[in-house]
Amino acid sequence: MGIGFLVPAFLAGLAALAIPLLMHLRHRDKDRPFRFPSLMFLEQLPIRTSQRQRITDWPLLLLRALAVAALVLAFARPVLTDQAAVGGDTRRKAVVVVIDRSLSMGYQGVWPRALDSARAVVNALGTGDRVGVVAYDDASEVLQRMSDDKSQALAAISTLKPMSRGTRLAPALRTARQMLLDAPFAAAEIIVISDLQRAGAAGIAGIDLPAGVKLRSIPVGAATRANSAVRVIEARRVMDGARSLLAVKARIQSHELPAARQVKARLTVNGRDAAGSEVSLQPDGETVVTFAPVPAPDDAVALLVSLDPDALTADDTLHAVVPRDDAVRVALVSSSAGAAGEALFLERALAIGAAPAIQIDRLASAPVSREALSRTSLVMFWDMLPSASSVAALQDYITTGGGVVIAAGARVAAQRGGNLPLLPVRMSGLADRLADRGGTLRDVRIEHPLFTPFREVPDALNAVRFFRYPRVDASGEVDVLARFDDGLPAVMEQRIGEGRLVVLTVPLDAQRSDFPLQPAFLPFVRQLVLHTSGRDAVPLWRATSESWSLAPSVNNPVVRAPDGTLLRPQADSLGTAVPLADAGVYEAFAVSATGAAVGRVAANAPTSESELTSMDTTELLLGVRDAEPGSMASNAPPTTAELERRQNPWRVLLIMVALVLVMETIMATRGWRAVARRVRPVVPASASDRSPS
Amino acid sequence: MATAPASFLDPAMLARISDLALLARTVVDGFMHGQHRSLRKGSSSDFAEHRSYQPGDDLRRIDWRVYGRTDRFYVKEYDADTNAGVIFALDASGSMDFGSGAVTKFDYARFLVASLAWLSKSQGDRIGLATFKEELVDVVPPSVRHLQLLLHTLARVSAAGPSRLVHAIGRIGHLTTRTGIVVLVTDCYEQPEALGRAVAALRMGGHDVIVFHIVDPAETQLPGDMPATFEDAESGALLPLRPGDLRDKYTTLITAHHAALQERFTSAGADYVRLDTSEPLDRALHAYLDARLSRSRVR
Repeated sequence: MGIGFLVPAFLAGLAALAIPLLMHLRHRDKDRPFRFPSLMFLEQLPIRTSQRQRITDWPLLLLRALAVAALVLAFARPVLTDQAAVGGDTRRKAVVVVIDRSLSMGYQGVWPRALDSARAVVNALGTGDRVGVVAYDDASEVLQRMSDDKSQALAAISTLKPMSRGTRLAPALRTARQMLLDAPFAAAEIIVISDLQRAGAAGIAGIDLPAGVKLRSIPVGAATRANSAVRVIEARRVMDGARSLLAVKARIQSHELPAARQVKARLTVNGRDAAGSEVSLQPDGETVVTFAPVPAPDDAVALLVSLDPDALTADDTLHAVVPRDDAVRVALVSSSAGAAGEALFLERALAIGAAPAIQIDRLASAPVSREALSRTSLVMFWDMLPSASSVAALQDYITTGGGVVIAAGARVAAQRGGNLPLLPVRMSGLADRLADRGGTLRDVRIEHPLFTPFREVPDALNAVRFFRYPRVDASGEVDVLARFDDGLPAVMEQRIGEGRLVVLTVPLDAQRSDFPLQPAFLPFVRQLVLHTSGRDAVPLWRATSESWSLAPSVNNPVVRAPDGTLLRPQADSLGTAVPLADAGVYEAFAVSATGAAVGRVAANAPTSESELTSMDTTELLLGVRDAEPGSMASNAPPTTAELERRQNPWRVLLIMVALVLVMETIMATRGWRAVARRVRPVVPASASDRSPS
Repeated sequence: MATAPASFLDPAMLARISDLALLARTVVDGFMHGQHRSLRKGSSSDFAEHRSYQPGDDLRRIDWRVYGRTDRFYVKEYDADTNAGVIFALDASGSMDFGSGAVTKFDYARFLVASLAWLSKSQGDRIGLATFKEELVDVVPPSVRHLQLLLHTLARVSAAGPSRLVHAIGRIGHLTTRTGIVVLVTDCYEQPEALGRAVAALRMGGHDVIVFHIVDPAETQLPGDMPATFEDAESGALLPLRPGDLRDKYTTLITAHHAALQERFTSAGADYVRLDTSEPLDRALHAYLDARLSRSRVR
């Protein structure tokens, strides 16, 4: 049986064994010496020297020597290196196989290698060893709990395939850790089979593996990482006379191509091949492909841009859904013909835009019927407030996704007193800035979607002068998006349910400001309409790890997944959430999957999956606490450090030291040792007998 | 000879009496109680004075004429009765400060000296005291009036430090030009030959010498069996040893030492009395009186 030491230098401490030995040889009683009248006769005795140097308490000496030796050995970290003796490979162990099934594992040759590695790990387990299987992408899934049935594990592995999803290793490690904690084993190991994408390592630094659990990785990534991927689709509707066309651009990212690559990009619209383009991809970098505008229906359009397949085919396609191009109908409510004249600039500005077009319906009062409101994307009150009778209907309208804009002017400002309907703001007169040549906007929250057109040119809004505008006191619940330079709120917003309510004190007419004469006017009012009506926030696709929230108005929804399966998601008070598991286009129907879809959404794997840059296994293992770089070799025998950590003999030695010290304390203070030298001589009987008689 | 009640002479009981005068009187009175036969015989023709009758005085020495006149007992004192000068030489070295029983050797020696002094004074002797360590420490010249001084000196002297016994004996011999009795109270930690020569020198000077050798029971047998460190009471030297292993050889040495002392003192003409601190004082008093009577020139 071989014994090794992790820190053999500490064995030099065995020299300390001389300390108790010398202490015993040079033993002096700690108690007071025994005072004797004279040593005159004792010093004549020849055996004095040998008496002094004799060890008198062997048990105590041995205990002390044992304590010192055990302490030194504990520091030297002994380890039994004989495999048969320690049962290193023959001992039962628990293994959790963690398999990466993210999109990047679909790279040419990677997946078969991963499966082979997983099967090899399972087959190498001995009788009685337990194995669990965890698959992970952006989430982890336990395919098999800890079991000694290897055939089940192999069957679970066989069902795996790469998914169109991202990579997050941390949840998988936590799952594996929990599996080992639930079924603790003396020798436990987590084996990660992955291409070790760098993007998937986020979050592993906080994982603390329990002592004795070994983390090992089997990198199966390809040696070359050449890849091209469609990363972005940009689509906008353009009008060609009376025809609505769809102009589509795609951005293609290339990584580590050995040379420039000539590929053909295709555009598919609603499942039909619509356009194609030859493109030359640079070895590294982005290439923009612009397709010729294609006719497109006004309804939501499903787009697919695809490239000639390469080693990783899953990211050679990108799905997108362009929302329906129906005109935004704005109900402009003004109280009088004079007021209508004030809104002339607004009407003209909104009428200019297209895709979507904005259609204005001038009304004298707010629509209150459900039918009228359902036809309206936005209700804009021009210097007037909703009537009391319409407030309830407007409240419901906003809650279900509608938008309301109140453009406050002098007439609204005159209505001092309580809060405005729908919005907790109070009017307090009119601010007159004619004397100081007008006020300007300040504290514009340029990151808000309402100001999207001005992110590149924020100074465009600063050029506008406002001469008269209402004074508003806003409560804390209102989101103030912009203020005048005197601190008064200029643009306020409040979300109510699915919709929005925006209150403007910014004058939109030419009498109280020069805003309609400024270049910023047109993009502002157009974005105001699109944002408030909710037409600006629809992304062209979502990531596969996200959920799609269906509107509560969709009754008994049925969702058709990209692979054709029908899902019946359960609705709750907040609506219906559909997990987007696969890449492709999801379609939602009411009641049954027939007729026109009430909603469509595209899902794609995160673009980070196309970044195949891998990290070193050491880097991964360093991120996880208690994992040592020495444990990363796939089939290497356990190192001395691993054996020592598995055996932990130093703890036993320290416990032994403590016990020995307790025994030493008891023996060192035991009664007979101390009493022995306090014995008083008994007066001999002959002494009293010497009394004279 | 009747035996005095042991309770009056037991060292353990005497140790409870802090006043040396009271202690000495208690010892002597207890010792003299029942001594029907006077220890003092005969008389000199040189009348010196009358003194009150003390128990133990010879009834024949009562002056009946004076009794007829005064109705009180007086005895006649003659010059020869009061000529005896007694010097008590007390060893006050550190070795005397040892005791395994109720009293230390030094306490026992003080009791002994106080009692003998009281006895001597009651018999009209001139008494003096010399305590010594390396040198003489306290000296009380012999006188019939020095009992209280002697007792007071005894009460305050303490035993400590090394001793030079032979040297001290030589100095004692020069304390008085008149011959007398030298009562040497010591533990005799000195070579017997040297001690014998020192005592022989005293004897050559005309002194009678009584050596009281004070021995503690623990000195004759090493105490304990387990290893211990012994400390010399005089020099402070330390000696670690296992008493059980050395006891037999030590006993042999100490027995030979006692025998050598006996032989040397006897051959020098001195009386040698070895006293164990656990035994009552009466044997010492008897020995002293015997020596006292043998020295008396008036019987």
